[in-house]
Amino acid sequence: MTMADPATRFAAGDRVRALSVDPSHHTRLPRYVRGQVGEVLDVQGVWPLADDRAQGRPDPRSEPVYTVRFAAHDLWGEGSHWVTVALWQSYLEPVGTQERPEEQ
Amino acid sequence: MTAHHPTSHTAARVRRLEERLIAAGLTDDAELDGIITRFLAGASPLNGARIVARAWVDDDFRARLLTDANSAIADVGLSMRSGLQEQRLTVVANTETTHNVVVCTLCSCYPIGLLGPSPSWYKSEAYRSRVVRDPRGVLAEFGLHLPEETTIVVHDASAESRYMVLPRRPAGTDGRTEDELAALVSREGLIGTALV
Amino acid sequence: MLLVVSRVNDVGGQTGFGDFTVEPDEPPFHADWEARVYALNAAMLRRGVYNLDQFRDAIERMPPADYLAAGYYERWLTAIETLTSGHDDG
Repeated sequence: MTMADPATRFAAGDRVRALSVDPSHHTRLPRYVRGQVGEVLDVQGVWPLADDRAQGRPDPRSEPVYTVRFAAHDLWGEGSHWVTVALWQSYLEPVGTQERPEEQ
Repeated sequence: MTAHHPTSHTAARVRRLEERLIAAGLTDDAELDGIITRFLAGASPLNGARIVARAWVDDDFRARLLTDANSAIADVGLSMRSGLQEQRLTVVANTETTHNVVVCTLCSCYPIGLLGPSPSWYKSEAYRSRVVRDPRGVLAEFGLHLPEETTIVVHDASAESRYMVLPRRPAGTDGRTEDELAALVSREGLIGTALV
Repeated sequence: MLLVVSRVNDVGGQTGFGDFTVEPDEPPFHADWEARVYALNAAMLRRGVYNLDQFRDAIERMPPADYLAAGYYERWLTAIETLTSGHDDG
Protein backbone atom coordinates (compact mmCIF):
# COMPACT_ATOMS: atom_id res chain seq x y z
CA MET A 1 0.00 0.00 0.00
CA THR A 2 1.16 3.51 -0.57
CA MET A 3 1.85 5.72 2.36
CA ALA A 4 0.56 9.06 1.32
CA ASP A 5 1.17 12.06 3.50
CA PRO A 6 -0.99 11.17 6.49
CA ALA A 7 -2.07 14.77 6.73
CA THR A 8 -3.80 14.60 3.33
CA ARG A 9 -5.22 11.17 2.66
CA PHE A 10 -7.12 11.85 -0.55
CA ALA A 11 -6.39 13.51 -3.88
CA ALA A 12 -8.49 14.81 -6.76
CA GLY A 13 -10.07 11.90 -8.62
CA ASP A 14 -10.22 9.59 -5.59
CA ARG A 15 -13.51 7.90 -4.83
CA VAL A 16 -14.53 8.27 -1.21
CA ARG A 17 -17.46 7.23 0.94
CA ALA A 18 -18.97 9.54 3.51
CA LEU A 19 -19.26 7.72 6.81
CA SER A 20 -22.59 6.24 7.84
CA VAL A 21 -22.61 7.78 11.26
CA ASP A 22 -25.08 9.64 13.41
CA PRO A 23 -23.16 11.70 15.95
CA SER A 24 -25.04 13.22 18.87
CA HIS A 25 -22.90 16.35 18.67
CA HIS A 26 -22.74 19.12 16.06
CA THR A 27 -21.33 17.98 12.74
CA ARG A 28 -21.03 19.36 9.21
CA LEU A 29 -21.63 16.01 7.54
CA PRO A 30 -25.08 16.39 5.96
CA ARG A 31 -27.38 13.42 6.36
CA TYR A 32 -28.08 13.13 2.64
CA VAL A 33 -24.50 12.12 1.81
CA ARG A 34 -23.91 9.73 4.72
CA GLY A 35 -22.98 6.32 3.33
CA GLN A 36 -22.77 7.72 -0.22
CA VAL A 37 -19.83 7.46 -2.61
CA GLY A 38 -18.48 10.54 -4.37
CA GLU A 39 -15.39 11.83 -6.14
CA VAL A 40 -12.86 14.21 -4.66
CA LEU A 41 -12.58 17.35 -6.79
CA ASP A 42 -10.03 19.29 -4.78
CA VAL A 43 -8.61 20.06 -1.36
CA GLN A 44 -9.83 23.27 0.27
CA GLY A 45 -6.93 23.55 2.71
CA VAL A 46 -6.71 22.52 6.35
CA TRP A 47 -9.31 23.74 8.83
CA PRO A 48 -10.18 23.08 12.49
CA LEU A 49 -12.77 20.33 12.75
CA ALA A 50 -16.20 21.87 13.33
CA ASP A 51 -17.26 18.94 15.52
CA ASP A 52 -14.41 19.69 17.96
CA ARG A 53 -14.90 23.44 17.92
CA ALA A 54 -18.61 23.05 18.63
CA GLN A 55 -17.75 21.11 21.77
CA GLY A 56 -15.49 23.90 22.93
CA ARG A 57 -12.34 21.81 22.76
CA PRO A 58 -9.33 24.07 23.36
CA ASP A 59 -7.23 22.21 20.78
CA PRO A 60 -9.56 21.17 17.95
CA ARG A 61 -8.08 18.75 15.44
CA SER A 62 -7.22 20.35 12.10
CA GLU A 63 -7.88 18.34 8.98
CA PRO A 64 -7.96 18.77 5.21
CA VAL A 65 -11.38 19.69 3.84
CA TYR A 66 -12.30 18.22 0.45
CA THR A 67 -14.77 19.22 -2.21
CA VAL A 68 -16.58 15.96 -2.95
CA ARG A 69 -18.94 15.59 -5.89
CA PHE A 70 -21.96 13.29 -5.65
CA ALA A 71 -24.27 12.21 -8.47
CA ALA A 72 -27.93 13.07 -7.90
CA HIS A 73 -28.95 9.62 -9.05
CA ASP A 74 -26.90 8.08 -6.23
CA LEU A 75 -28.34 10.44 -3.63
CA TRP A 76 -31.98 10.50 -4.65
CA GLY A 77 -32.46 7.64 -7.10
CA GLU A 78 -33.21 10.16 -9.82
CA GLY A 79 -31.92 13.34 -11.36
CA SER A 80 -28.98 14.12 -13.64
CA HIS A 81 -27.36 16.94 -11.65
CA TRP A 82 -24.38 16.90 -9.30
CA VAL A 83 -24.08 18.07 -5.73
CA THR A 84 -20.72 19.14 -4.27
CA VAL A 85 -20.30 19.01 -0.51
CA ALA A 86 -17.29 20.23 1.49
CA LEU A 87 -16.25 17.50 3.92
CA TRP A 88 -13.57 17.17 6.58
CA GLN A 89 -11.18 14.24 6.13
CA SER A 90 -12.46 12.25 9.11
CA TYR A 91 -15.95 12.21 7.54
CA LEU A 92 -14.56 10.12 4.66
CA GLU A 93 -13.20 6.65 4.00
CA PRO A 94 -11.51 5.32 0.86
CA VAL A 95 -13.48 3.32 -1.69
CA GLY A 96 -12.05 0.65 -3.98
CA THR A 97 -9.99 -1.22 -1.43
CA GLN A 98 -10.96 -3.83 1.11
CA GLU A 99 -8.33 -2.51 3.46
CA ARG A 100 -9.47 -0.32 6.24
CA PRO A 101 -7.29 2.64 7.13
CA GLU A 102 -4.91 1.71 9.94
CA GLU A 103 -4.97 4.96 11.79
CA GLN A 104 -7.67 6.17 14.13
CA MET B 1 -47.75 25.66 12.52
CA THR B 2 -47.17 27.61 15.66
CA ALA B 3 -47.55 31.33 15.23
CA HIS B 4 -44.45 33.44 15.62
CA HIS B 5 -44.13 35.35 18.82
CA PRO B 6 -45.49 38.85 18.50
CA THR B 7 -42.66 41.17 17.58
CA SER B 8 -43.16 43.29 20.70
CA HIS B 9 -42.60 40.24 22.89
CA THR B 10 -39.45 39.31 20.99
CA ALA B 11 -38.18 42.88 21.01
CA ALA B 12 -38.54 42.94 24.80
CA ARG B 13 -36.62 39.66 25.00
CA VAL B 14 -33.82 41.17 22.93
CA ARG B 15 -33.72 44.26 25.17
CA ARG B 16 -33.39 42.08 28.27
CA LEU B 17 -30.56 40.09 26.68
CA GLU B 18 -28.80 43.23 25.55
CA GLU B 19 -29.05 44.83 28.99
CA ARG B 20 -27.72 41.67 30.61
CA LEU B 21 -24.72 41.41 28.26
CA ILE B 22 -23.89 45.10 28.60
CA ALA B 23 -24.13 44.84 32.40
CA ALA B 24 -21.79 41.85 32.27
CA GLY B 25 -19.26 44.00 30.43
CA LEU B 26 -19.36 41.89 27.28
CA THR B 27 -20.39 44.67 24.88
CA ASP B 28 -21.72 48.22 24.82
CA ASP B 29 -24.05 50.36 22.75
CA ALA B 30 -21.29 51.94 20.69
CA GLU B 31 -19.92 48.56 19.67
CA LEU B 32 -23.36 47.25 18.69
CA ASP B 33 -24.20 50.38 16.70
CA GLY B 34 -20.85 50.19 14.92
CA ILE B 35 -21.36 46.56 13.95
CA ILE B 36 -24.76 47.32 12.41
CA THR B 37 -23.50 50.41 10.59
CA ARG B 38 -20.52 48.62 9.07
CA PHE B 39 -22.67 45.65 8.09
CA LEU B 40 -25.22 47.81 6.28
CA ALA B 41 -22.58 49.98 4.60
CA GLY B 42 -20.07 47.36 3.48
CA ALA B 43 -21.94 44.26 2.43
CA SER B 44 -23.42 44.58 -1.06
CA PRO B 45 -23.95 42.53 -4.22
CA LEU B 46 -22.20 45.38 -6.04
CA ASN B 47 -18.96 43.87 -4.74
CA GLY B 48 -19.66 40.51 -6.35
CA ALA B 49 -20.79 42.26 -9.52
CA ARG B 50 -17.47 44.14 -9.79
CA ILE B 51 -15.60 40.84 -9.53
CA VAL B 52 -17.73 39.34 -12.30
CA ALA B 53 -17.29 42.34 -14.59
CA ARG B 54 -13.52 42.21 -14.19
CA ALA B 55 -13.52 38.49 -14.98
CA TRP B 56 -15.53 39.21 -18.15
CA VAL B 57 -12.95 41.65 -19.49
CA ASP B 58 -9.70 40.17 -18.16
CA ASP B 59 -8.89 36.54 -18.94
CA ASP B 60 -5.87 36.46 -16.66
CA PHE B 61 -7.97 37.72 -13.74
CA ARG B 62 -10.65 35.17 -14.58
CA ALA B 63 -8.14 32.31 -14.47
CA ARG B 64 -6.76 33.44 -11.12
CA LEU B 65 -10.27 33.98 -9.76
CA LEU B 66 -11.19 30.38 -10.49
CA THR B 67 -8.03 28.93 -8.93
CA ASP B 68 -7.30 31.32 -6.05
CA ALA B 69 -10.22 33.66 -5.55
CA ASN B 70 -9.00 35.05 -2.24
CA SER B 71 -5.90 36.61 -3.76
CA ALA B 72 -7.55 37.54 -7.08
CA ILE B 73 -10.26 39.73 -5.54
CA ALA B 74 -7.61 41.98 -4.02
CA ASP B 75 -7.25 43.32 -7.61
CA VAL B 76 -10.62 45.02 -7.23
CA GLY B 77 -9.95 46.10 -3.64
CA LEU B 78 -11.93 43.33 -1.94
CA SER B 79 -11.08 40.65 0.58
CA MET B 80 -12.71 37.85 2.55
CA ARG B 81 -11.31 39.18 5.81
CA SER B 82 -14.39 41.03 7.01
CA GLY B 83 -15.06 38.60 9.84
CA LEU B 84 -12.88 37.20 12.60
CA GLN B 85 -10.74 35.19 10.21
CA GLU B 86 -10.37 35.16 6.46
CA GLN B 87 -12.94 32.92 4.84
CA ARG B 88 -12.10 30.84 1.80
CA LEU B 89 -13.85 31.94 -1.38
CA THR B 90 -14.59 29.52 -4.20
CA VAL B 91 -15.84 30.98 -7.48
CA VAL B 92 -17.57 28.54 -9.83
CA ALA B 93 -18.00 29.49 -13.47
CA ASN B 94 -21.08 28.84 -15.57
CA THR B 95 -20.29 27.61 -19.08
CA GLU B 96 -22.22 26.79 -22.21
CA THR B 97 -22.91 23.33 -20.76
CA THR B 98 -22.81 23.79 -16.97
CA HIS B 99 -24.88 25.91 -14.59
CA ASN B 100 -23.95 26.33 -10.91
CA VAL B 101 -26.18 27.16 -7.96
CA VAL B 102 -25.28 27.66 -4.29
CA VAL B 103 -26.98 26.59 -1.07
CA CYS B 104 -26.19 25.88 2.57
CA THR B 105 -28.37 22.95 3.64
CA LEU B 106 -27.17 22.93 7.27
CA CYS B 107 -27.62 26.61 8.09
CA SER B 108 -27.23 29.66 5.85
CA CYS B 109 -23.55 30.11 4.88
CA TYR B 110 -23.22 32.82 2.27
CA PRO B 111 -20.50 35.29 1.17
CA ILE B 112 -22.26 38.27 2.77
CA GLY B 113 -19.43 40.71 2.10
CA LEU B 114 -19.65 40.08 -1.64
CA LEU B 115 -23.40 39.49 -2.03
CA GLY B 116 -24.91 41.62 0.73
CA PRO B 117 -27.29 40.37 3.43
CA SER B 118 -28.77 37.06 2.38
CA PRO B 119 -32.42 37.01 1.31
CA SER B 120 -34.99 35.16 3.42
CA TRP B 121 -35.66 32.63 0.68
CA TYR B 122 -32.00 31.56 0.75
CA LYS B 123 -32.34 30.87 4.49
CA SER B 124 -35.69 29.07 4.19
CA GLU B 125 -36.08 25.34 4.81
CA ALA B 126 -37.97 25.16 1.51
CA TYR B 127 -35.00 26.34 -0.60
CA ARG B 128 -32.35 24.53 1.47
CA SER B 129 -34.19 21.20 1.36
CA ARG B 130 -35.27 21.25 -2.26
CA VAL B 131 -32.46 22.74 -4.32
CA VAL B 132 -30.08 19.81 -3.72
CA ARG B 133 -32.76 17.37 -4.80
CA ASP B 134 -34.61 19.17 -7.58
CA PRO B 135 -32.53 22.15 -8.70
CA ARG B 136 -34.22 22.27 -12.09
CA GLY B 137 -37.62 22.65 -10.45
CA VAL B 138 -36.39 25.28 -7.99
CA LEU B 139 -34.68 27.30 -10.73
CA ALA B 140 -37.86 27.18 -12.78
CA GLU B 141 -39.67 28.86 -9.88
CA PHE B 142 -37.20 31.72 -10.26
CA GLY B 143 -38.13 31.88 -13.94
CA LEU B 144 -34.90 30.21 -14.98
CA HIS B 145 -35.70 27.40 -17.40
CA LEU B 146 -32.47 25.66 -18.37
CA PRO B 147 -32.17 23.39 -21.42
CA GLU B 148 -32.41 19.68 -20.62
CA GLU B 149 -28.83 19.15 -21.77
CA THR B 150 -27.40 21.73 -19.34
CA THR B 151 -25.58 20.05 -16.46
CA ILE B 152 -26.55 21.55 -13.11
CA VAL B 153 -24.08 21.53 -10.22
CA VAL B 154 -25.37 22.43 -6.76
CA HIS B 155 -22.73 23.57 -4.26
CA ASP B 156 -23.56 22.92 -0.60
CA ALA B 157 -21.49 25.33 1.51
CA SER B 158 -21.08 22.80 4.31
CA ALA B 159 -17.60 23.72 5.59
CA GLU B 160 -15.31 26.75 5.52
CA SER B 161 -15.57 27.83 1.88
CA ARG B 162 -18.11 30.35 0.66
CA TYR B 163 -19.26 30.07 -2.94
CA MET B 164 -20.05 32.63 -5.62
CA VAL B 165 -21.18 31.91 -9.16
CA LEU B 166 -19.45 33.55 -12.12
CA PRO B 167 -22.28 33.99 -14.66
CA ARG B 168 -21.68 33.92 -18.40
CA ARG B 169 -21.27 37.27 -20.09
CA PRO B 170 -24.48 38.09 -21.95
CA ALA B 171 -24.33 38.27 -25.73
CA GLY B 172 -24.33 41.71 -27.29
CA THR B 173 -22.31 43.39 -24.56
CA ASP B 174 -19.12 43.96 -26.53
CA GLY B 175 -17.60 47.36 -25.96
CA ARG B 176 -19.30 47.99 -22.64
CA THR B 177 -17.23 49.36 -19.80
CA GLU B 178 -16.55 47.38 -16.67
CA ASP B 179 -19.00 49.55 -14.71
CA GLU B 180 -21.70 49.00 -17.33
CA LEU B 181 -21.09 45.27 -17.22
CA ALA B 182 -21.21 45.20 -13.40
CA ALA B 183 -24.63 46.86 -13.56
CA LEU B 184 -25.96 43.84 -15.46
CA VAL B 185 -25.14 41.42 -12.63
CA SER B 186 -27.81 40.60 -10.05
CA ARG B 187 -27.53 39.02 -6.63
CA GLU B 188 -29.48 36.05 -7.97
CA GLY B 189 -26.94 35.68 -10.76
CA LEU B 190 -24.20 35.41 -8.12
CA ILE B 191 -26.16 32.71 -6.24
CA GLY B 192 -27.10 30.92 -9.45
CA THR B 193 -30.86 31.34 -9.40
CA ALA B 194 -30.62 33.68 -12.42
CA LEU B 195 -28.47 33.62 -15.55
CA VAL B 196 -26.81 36.97 -14.82
CA MET C 1 -28.05 0.22 6.52
CA LEU C 2 -27.85 2.48 9.52
CA LEU C 3 -31.02 4.33 10.26
CA VAL C 4 -29.69 7.80 9.65
CA VAL C 5 -31.33 10.50 11.66
CA SER C 6 -29.91 13.91 12.37
CA ARG C 7 -30.61 17.27 13.83
CA VAL C 8 -33.56 19.38 12.78
CA ASN C 9 -31.40 21.88 10.84
CA ASP C 10 -30.12 19.16 8.49
CA VAL C 11 -32.85 19.53 5.87
CA GLY C 12 -31.07 18.76 2.57
CA GLY C 13 -33.36 16.60 0.45
CA GLN C 14 -36.25 16.56 2.90
CA THR C 15 -39.69 16.97 1.40
CA GLY C 16 -42.69 18.80 2.77
CA PHE C 17 -41.34 22.29 3.40
CA GLY C 18 -43.46 23.67 0.59
CA ASP C 19 -42.75 26.84 -1.32
CA PHE C 20 -40.42 29.69 -0.56
CA THR C 21 -41.42 33.24 -1.24
CA VAL C 22 -39.18 35.79 -2.84
CA GLU C 23 -39.66 39.22 -1.27
CA PRO C 24 -38.82 41.98 -3.74
CA ASP C 25 -36.46 44.65 -2.38
CA GLU C 26 -36.22 42.80 0.90
CA PRO C 27 -34.57 44.90 3.64
CA PRO C 28 -31.58 43.40 5.50
CA PHE C 29 -33.58 43.41 8.71
CA HIS C 30 -37.34 43.37 9.15
CA ALA C 31 -37.27 44.98 12.60
CA ASP C 32 -34.77 46.87 14.75
CA TRP C 33 -34.50 43.96 17.15
CA GLU C 34 -33.21 41.73 14.34
CA ALA C 35 -30.31 44.12 13.78
CA ARG C 36 -29.58 44.16 17.51
CA VAL C 37 -29.52 40.34 17.59
CA TYR C 38 -27.14 40.33 14.63
CA ALA C 39 -24.85 42.79 16.40
CA LEU C 40 -25.00 41.00 19.76
CA ASN C 41 -23.89 37.77 18.12
CA ALA C 42 -21.04 39.48 16.26
CA ALA C 43 -19.90 41.08 19.52
CA MET C 44 -19.97 37.78 21.43
CA LEU C 45 -18.03 36.01 18.66
CA ARG C 46 -15.49 38.82 18.57
CA ARG C 47 -15.06 38.63 22.36
CA GLY C 48 -14.63 34.87 22.20
CA VAL C 49 -17.58 34.23 24.51
CA TYR C 50 -18.34 31.37 22.13
CA ASN C 51 -17.28 30.38 18.63
CA LEU C 52 -19.32 30.06 15.45
CA ASP C 53 -19.65 26.28 15.72
CA GLN C 54 -20.90 26.55 19.30
CA PHE C 55 -23.41 29.11 18.03
CA ARG C 56 -24.61 26.76 15.30
CA ASP C 57 -24.74 23.91 17.81
CA ALA C 58 -26.94 25.96 20.14
CA ILE C 59 -29.39 26.64 17.29
CA GLU C 60 -29.45 22.98 16.31
CA ARG C 61 -30.18 21.89 19.88
CA MET C 62 -33.45 23.81 19.93
CA PRO C 63 -36.41 21.45 20.23
CA PRO C 64 -37.40 20.69 16.62
CA ALA C 65 -40.88 22.16 16.96
CA ASP C 66 -39.45 25.39 18.38
CA TYR C 67 -36.76 25.55 15.68
CA LEU C 68 -39.29 25.20 12.87
CA ALA C 69 -41.70 27.70 14.41
CA ALA C 70 -39.03 30.34 15.03
CA GLY C 71 -37.98 32.99 12.54
CA TYR C 72 -34.35 33.23 11.49
CA TYR C 73 -33.23 35.82 14.01
CA GLU C 74 -35.42 34.30 16.74
CA ARG C 75 -33.20 31.22 16.43
CA TRP C 76 -30.16 33.43 16.82
CA LEU C 77 -31.72 35.08 19.86
CA THR C 78 -32.39 31.71 21.48
CA ALA C 79 -28.82 30.57 20.81
CA ILE C 80 -27.26 33.74 22.28
CA GLU C 81 -29.47 33.41 25.37
CA THR C 82 -28.41 29.78 25.78
CA LEU C 83 -24.71 30.44 25.30
CA THR C 84 -24.50 33.46 27.58
CA SER C 85 -26.70 32.26 30.44
CA GLY C 86 -23.62 31.74 32.62
CA HIS C 87 -22.25 35.21 31.93
CA ASP C 88 -24.41 37.32 34.22
CA ASP C 89 -22.61 39.94 36.18
CA GLY C 90 -22.54 39.66 39.97
